[in-house]
Amino acid sequence: MFHWLEKHPFFFAVGVFVVIAFAGLIEIVPNFAQASRPVIGTTPYSTLEIAGRQAYIKNSCNACHSQLIRPFKSETDRYGHYSLSGEYAYDRPFLWGSKRTGPDLHRVGNYRTTEWHENHMKDPQAIVPTSIMPGYPWMFTTNADIDTAYAEQLTAAQFFGVPYNKPVPMKDGSTTVVKLGNSIAEAHAMALEEAKAVVANMKDQDVKDAVARGEIPEIVALIAYLNRLK
Amino acid sequence: MNKLYLWGIIIAIAMLGATYVTVGYQKGGLNGDIVNMLAVAGAVALVIITIFVVIKYVRQMQVDQASGELADESWDNIGEYKNELPMGWALMFLGTMVWGMWYFLAGYPVNAYSQIGEYNEDVAAHDAKFEKEYASITGSRLVEMGESVYLVECVACHGLNADGNNEVDAADLNARVSEKTVKYVVNHGSNNKLLGTEMPMPDRNGLFNAETGALITDKEIDEVAAFVAGGLKDTNSAGAKVFAGVCSSCHGPDGKGMEYVAPDIATWSQPLIVNVLNNGKVGTIGKMPAMDRLNSKQKEAVAAYVISLTQGE
Repeated sequence: MFHWLEKHPFFFAVGVFVVIAFAGLIEIVPNFAQASRPVIGTTPYSTLEIAGRQAYIKNSCNACHSQLIRPFKSETDRYGHYSLSGEYAYDRPFLWGSKRTGPDLHRVGNYRTTEWHENHMKDPQAIVPTSIMPGYPWMFTTNADIDTAYAEQLTAAQFFGVPYNKPVPMKDGSTTVVKLGNSIAEAHAMALEEAKAVVANMKDQDVKDAVARGEIPEIVALIAYLNRLK
Repeated sequence: MNKLYLWGIIIAIAMLGATYVTVGYQKGGLNGDIVNMLAVAGAVALVIITIFVVIKYVRQMQVDQASGELADESWDNIGEYKNELPMGWALMFLGTMVWGMWYFLAGYPVNAYSQIGEYNEDVAAHDAKFEKEYASITGSRLVEMGESVYLVECVACHGLNADGNNEVDAADLNARVSEKTVKYVVNHGSNNKLLGTEMPMPDRNGLFNAETGALITDKEIDEVAAFVAGGLKDTNSAGAKVFAGVCSSCHGPDGKGMEYVAPDIATWSQPLIVNVLNNGKVGTIGKMPAMDRLNSKQKEAVAAYVISLTQGE
């Protein structure tokens, strides 16, 4: 066999690579597989949250806001526990971001509320006078794209095995089931139910009316997404 | 003398001379700078060693005869002499093996770098420093710390003047309770862990007025709300009577609350504010998230700051 290898430089090179890479492979691959497993307490995104996430991406929130708390005292003081890789298990793509023009948002759901987001997205300077963030008033009139959100969920469930409709372990030992609609109509109905819960804490009458009519403005989906970032 | 040695000496002198001239032309020359001196000394050593080592091997190639015992193996008719291992090399080889064992078994597992480990050390060092410098501060320094924490953590909702923010419905911290809050709490009851534990207050269907013997009425709610929001000062008002009949059995005749029973609704108190920071609260104007990331001294400081806001009056 070795004689054969000596005569075939290409396969010899492949063999050398495998031998040299072996130590790296047995150290890196299992560790990586372990770390990328969902952290206990991380749940798949609901339809409305996915729609909010898509609005987040569409409006390039990640250009100014990171979602990655590094293990430094100064960051954990400000934003909470440092991020774990398993917390991004259901993020496709992850939104770590590379530049903080605004603050990190990875755990913004812990210290901001629906009402705060509502007013802040409409007119940031009314809440934080020195803010340089622009307002996003069109989110209050544009409707969220629930169809695409549902499509993304279906893809995640079918091709990536994201555990929709299955019990997911939580930190307190209980389990939670994130439901995935069987049809677009059902997904719409479920998203609307969720939207109603968010809107109950909002004040904008136009948004409330829209949800009562069965529409879901983008801002509602976005707030549902931001509130879940914990 | 061999011709080679002569050439060696000539080249050495030429190179050293070139080095001397080059360095000497620089500002300050050789005497100006210890680094220049070292460079020249290094150059001298290098040139001399190089030339003599080269000469040695050139001589060897010229005069050496192959000799010694041939090994049995023949590699495509190229033979090999049996030589002793050079001592230096052998020692390094063994040393590397010993070091490798140590590194595999102890060196790496014990001393490996961990980002989280560094973070934990950092936090421990910071906490120790914080403890040393701030654990025992009181009075105005505590209020100052509270203000600085407030300006970072609380200002986004409660505002620079701590007067709350109607847009996001954050409470005005310059007064203990607003009329709106009193009305809401009486109408809906409350359970905000203000005492640190679950301690629900009943809604209006559980609030009897001991003086009239009936449930609290809308008019009485308006009266008591005005009285409580006014700081429980106007003791002759109708609200004061309602308070005595309905509220004082738990909140005390002076509104200062009772331990394990009801919170102080007359003034801000430290345990109350710390409990709100720990648990957050939900009330008439919305939800306040828990700010439990602050350490206990910082919570105390925020409480001191909020208390100081109302003491000025």
